[in-house]
Amino acid sequence: MTGTLKKNRTQLITLAALAFLLVTAAQGLETKDWVITVLRGLSVGMVTFLVASGLSLIFGLMDVLNLAHGEMFMLGAYVGWTVFVRPDTFVDILAPLLLLFVGFILTPLWRALLARVRFSGRAAQLWPWMAAIIAFIILGLTLVSFPITKWDPEVYAESPITFSLALDQGNLALPEPKPFEAAPIIAILGTLAGSSLLASAFAGFGQRKQTGRMSQHIPRGPVITAVILLILALAAFWGNDALTEWLINIGTTGRFFLAMGVATVAGFVIGGVMETTMIRPLYDRPMYQLMITLGISFIIIEVVRAIWGRPEFTMPKAALFSGRGDACPAESIGDLIANQCSTVILFDGRIRTYNEIFIILVGLIVLIAVGLLLRRTRIGMIIRAGVQDSEMVEALGINVRQVFTFVFALGVALASLGGVLAAPSIGLSSVMGGQFLLLALIALAIGGLTSFPGAAAGAILVGLIQQFIIKYGQIGINIPFLDEPFKPSPPLVPASVVLLMVIILLVLPNGLFGRSE
Amino acid sequence: MQTAISPKQNSTKAWLKDNGGMIGLLIFLAAFPFIVALFEGQPFTEVLANETGNAKFLQGLLIEVFILAIYAISYDLILGITGLLSFGHAMFFAAGAYFTGIAFKNYELGIGATLVGIVVLGIVQAILFGIVLPRVKGITFALVTLGMASMFHIIIQASELAEWTGADVGLQGVTTPDLINTSTERFRLYLITLMVTFLVYLVYRRFVDSPTGRVCVAIRENEDRALMLGYNTFHFKLAALILSSITAALAGFFHTVHQPIVSPNVAGLGWTVAALLIILMGGVGTLSGAMVGAAVFRLLEFFLDKQFGENANFLLGVIYVLLVLFLPFGIVGTWRAKRFRTQS
Repeated sequence: MTGTLKKNRTQLITLAALAFLLVTAAQGLETKDWVITVLRGLSVGMVTFLVASGLSLIFGLMDVLNLAHGEMFMLGAYVGWTVFVRPDTFVDILAPLLLLFVGFILTPLWRALLARVRFSGRAAQLWPWMAAIIAFIILGLTLVSFPITKWDPEVYAESPITFSLALDQGNLALPEPKPFEAAPIIAILGTLAGSSLLASAFAGFGQRKQTGRMSQHIPRGPVITAVILLILALAAFWGNDALTEWLINIGTTGRFFLAMGVATVAGFVIGGVMETTMIRPLYDRPMYQLMITLGISFIIIEVVRAIWGRPEFTMPKAALFSGRGDACPAESIGDLIANQCSTVILFDGRIRTYNEIFIILVGLIVLIAVGLLLRRTRIGMIIRAGVQDSEMVEALGINVRQVFTFVFALGVALASLGGVLAAPSIGLSSVMGGQFLLLALIALAIGGLTSFPGAAAGAILVGLIQQFIIKYGQIGINIPFLDEPFKPSPPLVPASVVLLMVIILLVLPNGLFGRSE
Repeated sequence: MQTAISPKQNSTKAWLKDNGGMIGLLIFLAAFPFIVALFEGQPFTEVLANETGNAKFLQGLLIEVFILAIYAISYDLILGITGLLSFGHAMFFAAGAYFTGIAFKNYELGIGATLVGIVVLGIVQAILFGIVLPRVKGITFALVTLGMASMFHIIIQASELAEWTGADVGLQGVTTPDLINTSTERFRLYLITLMVTFLVYLVYRRFVDSPTGRVCVAIRENEDRALMLGYNTFHFKLAALILSSITAALAGFFHTVHQPIVSPNVAGLGWTVAALLIILMGGVGTLSGAMVGAAVFRLLEFFLDKQFGENANFLLGVIYVLLVLFLPFGIVGTWRAKRFRTQS
């Protein structure tokens, strides 16, 4: 007992100092202000946590500081918005996207087949390039023939802003679906063939570098997955209208939860693709990983601007969180659930259900789920071992590369979920990623770079400090020896959080929960 | 057996072989405005009199390249040579730029006094980073320096300091001394920045070849081992930081002279990232890579902006990704590796 106390003395003193500061901060506030500020802080903290947790997992396991993580957060928000406000576009995109994936999921199959074919020297050099070029031509021809109802960010009447407003006022009218011009069967087969060709070309590039015999064994798992995806794609294609109809009819609440799911899955897939294609070749050149993630973040920002337009827009709240009936604001939990109120009275203060309750709830669920995944499952055990010493794990015969991909995908998925969660409260803009990346980096540094509980604690601390400073910016702080209360101006909000980070890092170079190197 | 060539001749020849390219480049760059004038059909006297035209415009662009090169090489010294990852480098640059602007605008200091101030400022900032240096290592050092630079960035934007820093619009309308005024004495400023860039490069190369610089490289490769050999690594890191910080502040000085406005953006993370991108493009730890990278960075940005306007950033991102995937050690680094392989 005393041993632990002694060992963690600095940590304990820091925590005590922080708790003392928080209590002093609460002194001058009324109870309702205090409660609201704490809840807001927790809410910002939870969103930050969703970004920071992925960053910390990725940094801990692979030593990659993913500077594109903020943009993944942003991408999640935009994908979620699309599913939520424009389900017709989402359904239209679903079929070609799934068909594309079928080809790539089958990569092991192509690799096994290629191992049986022998090419002579020059042909082995050339054919992957030829295949890739042909594949791009086929895909370019077929993908455009899929009818996708889009919006035009340049035209105000058809811009994302207008659709958001229309949905918020309950008079959303989706445009007529585009008819299919070419024969559908050709488009489907063409996309399938193109993606398969592209995937085998990539397999060919990889094969060229490897010497020795390739495995000729045809794996069963990917084939089954591919067949399931193919069936789903065909269903999405022919059931397009019915699916859109159904999505419109399930209402905003159902669609919102669907948006959360889709954004998470999209983040998972994007993360996996990013790790395998771009991060993996660079594990022995860590500095260049910074540069490539930076390049990716530029690309994503510009892609988002091209598709969704430059102006900021909002995402309406789901019906579950926007009830404004007579019984609102609700005074008890029962009332809240029965009337789906947008606000609830707690300690005489009005608290927004979505921002201050739902976000925290989801954040807690994710925190517990990921914590359990790390503590109680086999893959979690491998991840924790990999954070400690990944070479040793590899030496024990575990495929660390696969775990790397999984963790990267998981991290991006969490950030993406954070994005769609934050979108209804902070809106969508192409700079939201950068803001939260900075907050998450600070949270990470405070919590100890590689520690998962540290990321959570740091994120919550950052959120709380930020919200308290904002609150004090409105009412002023009574500082001893000063007659007038001191009012921090808006620029001081980021400064306070940064100052906190610098002080904590100087006292505890490994952060609150980090282990010493 | 080498009897035909005397040692002196030999060394001259070897020196020319090593540095011929550099001298050629120097001469070419010094003559560049006249070459442009030749193609444009503009008389040389107009170039000397700084008449408007393509020659003057391109000089301005190249001055920006030189400033970026000075700034980037100073970052290469601490990242590429000494192995300290700092995310606060923009603070060095911005402090120099702001100091120059305030010195010229509010206090009407001369060039000499300002330069002395720049050197003092550089040392003070390096010592500020030096205070945290023994406590934090690796990525934590990067984050602490990022925190310091962010605080600087926030403070210069505070409305209380509007009288000096111009708050969030930045310094406007700095009156630069006539001697190095960018609009009336462009050609002189061009030559000065060109000379300073080359001088900085030579000083840095000398530093890296000196015993001190060798220890800095040793620290990058293996700090524990350098410690074991009896070097107090802190002193060497601080020396590199001081040199780097003074150079970056000098780049800031020329930035203010050339622009002559200073926006708060130069203190932001984006400006540090620019330095990082430049030396990653050029090749980490190569020194000349920082120069090449600065030229590629600025000219690419200028060209893409002119050609594609809003989509420029997308293409820049694509180019960065491709550069990383296909030029594994930056432009100069990859070229050197290739030459090394063919020689051996």
